[in-house]
Amino acid sequence: MPKRKLDPLPSAAFQILLSLAEEDLHGYAIMRQVEEQTAGRMRMGPGTLYGSIQSLLEEKFIEEIDLGDDAKAGQERRRYYRLTATGRKLARSEAERLADLLRVARAKKILRGDYV
Amino acid sequence: MSEKIYVFLIRLFPADFRRTYGEESLQLFRDRSRDERGLWPGLRLWFDLLTDLAVSIPVEYRHAQPALAGDSGAQPVDGMPGFELLETTPLRPAAFLSAAFLSFATFAAISVLIVHGGSYRALWLRGAQDQRPDASRASSSVRSAQPSKGAGHQKLMSIRSKEDPTSEVAAPGSGNLMLVSLTSAQRLLPGNPAFAQSNRAQIGQPTPQDATTAMIRAFDSHNIVMFGENHGVKQEYEWLDKLVSTPQFADRVDDIVVEFGNSLYQKSVDRYIAGEDVPIEQVQKAWQNMIGAVGPPSPVYAGFYKAVRDENLKRRGKHQIRLVLGDPYGDWDRIKNAEDLGPYLANRDQWYAQVVKDEVVARNHRALLIMGAGHFLRRNGPGYVEREIRAAGANPYLVVFGTNAIGAYDDLDPRFDAWTRPAIVSLAGNWVGELPSSSVTTGGSVPATQLKLADAADALLYVAPRDALTQVNMTRSELERTAYEKELNRRMMIMTGRTLGPLPTEAEAPMFHRPQPQLNAGGQNALPPPPQTIHDPLPPRPPSR
Repeated sequence: MPKRKLDPLPSAAFQILLSLAEEDLHGYAIMRQVEEQTAGRMRMGPGTLYGSIQSLLEEKFIEEIDLGDDAKAGQERRRYYRLTATGRKLARSEAERLADLLRVARAKKILRGDYV
Repeated sequence: MSEKIYVFLIRLFPADFRRTYGEESLQLFRDRSRDERGLWPGLRLWFDLLTDLAVSIPVEYRHAQPALAGDSGAQPVDGMPGFELLETTPLRPAAFLSAAFLSFATFAAISVLIVHGGSYRALWLRGAQDQRPDASRASSSVRSAQPSKGAGHQKLMSIRSKEDPTSEVAAPGSGNLMLVSLTSAQRLLPGNPAFAQSNRAQIGQPTPQDATTAMIRAFDSHNIVMFGENHGVKQEYEWLDKLVSTPQFADRVDDIVVEFGNSLYQKSVDRYIAGEDVPIEQVQKAWQNMIGAVGPPSPVYAGFYKAVRDENLKRRGKHQIRLVLGDPYGDWDRIKNAEDLGPYLANRDQWYAQVVKDEVVARNHRALLIMGAGHFLRRNGPGYVEREIRAAGANPYLVVFGTNAIGAYDDLDPRFDAWTRPAIVSLAGNWVGELPSSSVTTGGSVPATQLKLADAADALLYVAPRDALTQVNMTRSELERTAYEKELNRRMMIMTGRTLGPLPTEAEAPMFHRPQPQLNAGGQNALPPPPQTIHDPLPPRPPSR
């Protein structure tokens, strides 16, 4: 059975890690957060979103948390996800990798200095 | 219907994925369907979903664990080997082709239905009406200010010929071309004589409900009800005062979050609302020192604070309502110029949303949110406050204040007259939802745009016909030569570069005046440039007073 690949880290998985950097979110909130942080360029559908979540859970980069009985407040029961320490480390190393790429692009004068 | 289609499509995923994330996927679909209504957002949603299916289904099958295909039929017995049947065979390529074909066909069918669904029905109905012109006229209860048929048709024909020439057919025996198929954009043209008729022909009738009952029931399925108000309307606040003094409302609602209260004064208001003896001079700072208000606040707000306090006093020992202040905590004693004011003005929605998240959502409370309708109305999806509180896990329902103005200022719709008032009417699937949001919510002061009410909110509050609505004002005699008038003039200068202007002499005045042409749009009415601090975050919050 082929294992889900997270190396290199797919863009969707990286965006999910970033979306969880500041707070625990449920699936729809993750989707909205990703949409916001990519200025609307990435709107993940359920397949991509939960497929990526599944692979991040398998590798323990995120974890599912129990926020208690939301149904009391008249809401649907939702699963919330939290970034683990390993997940944060992975997100940081991916961000550093991208920053390195940007530095190269700037050195080659492909990008101007006002990016990052 | 859309949900059923999506449920069917979810079945294309491997069983393991369906079991683990099927319900979550469906919930995400429901959330997006609720938030992305209208033609373009709906098409985009389905495009996203189908693209996602095409990409993710093969991926999921590649990674699928073999799943139990069914019960082996035998009860396990100690010491005996047992066998389970596993789904190990991946889907055949033909299955993917079938899925792709089905998805494409569904997408195409939904697109056609959304764009033309109502119009085809209109063709049948209008065709039948046109053959019986007298009967049609007799049964019609059209708007009072309807333009003449001929002129209206000419206007529509010229537009129609550009977009869809095939939508015109000759009406039998009339000698004129009759409009029988309209695009959704054309249906919303202001002054279009077929506007009300075609909508009536295509969609259902609304079911107005007693506003208080409907509002209380909304909390059965939603933890937050957002009410987009029109500032200072007497009839609207008479109803709100009655709502908060209804025991069923007070039993189930924990908080009312208001725009008309500077959160710097939360402590005083908490004590006042809880029934303690607090000097009114201290409490009224909450609504007299708002950041967002330009000019003297309407007395309806003081009345609302008192209504909540009175209800809490009546309910000593029972569940109490809290009034939570959602206006930023700017201190007018320290605001000397536009640069001081900038961060507070710029972050009004941000602060309001934060207050709701902290004081309501995080505490699993139920709350009524009251803010100007312009802050809450959905345009291409939910506004900032709604997005934020949804992301925090809230499940809000949006009601907006509205009138019977459905186009230009003189376009009043007599169909509203039949309703018992005040009423709340759901906007889904009926002609009210098809009306232009801008006209209905501004009493015809703002001309009709393409945005339909059903896309802008979940329900409409209707308290009285437009011309019966009155605004409650602080009068000149109350304000003139007071320190507060002087202070308001100072704030107005900071905000707009002008003083207050003439104060009203009467405590009540018609709410919606006929719009006047702007003669000096670029002259003395022009606002000063925004301060440089407009992009700054809110400063740290001082202790509440």
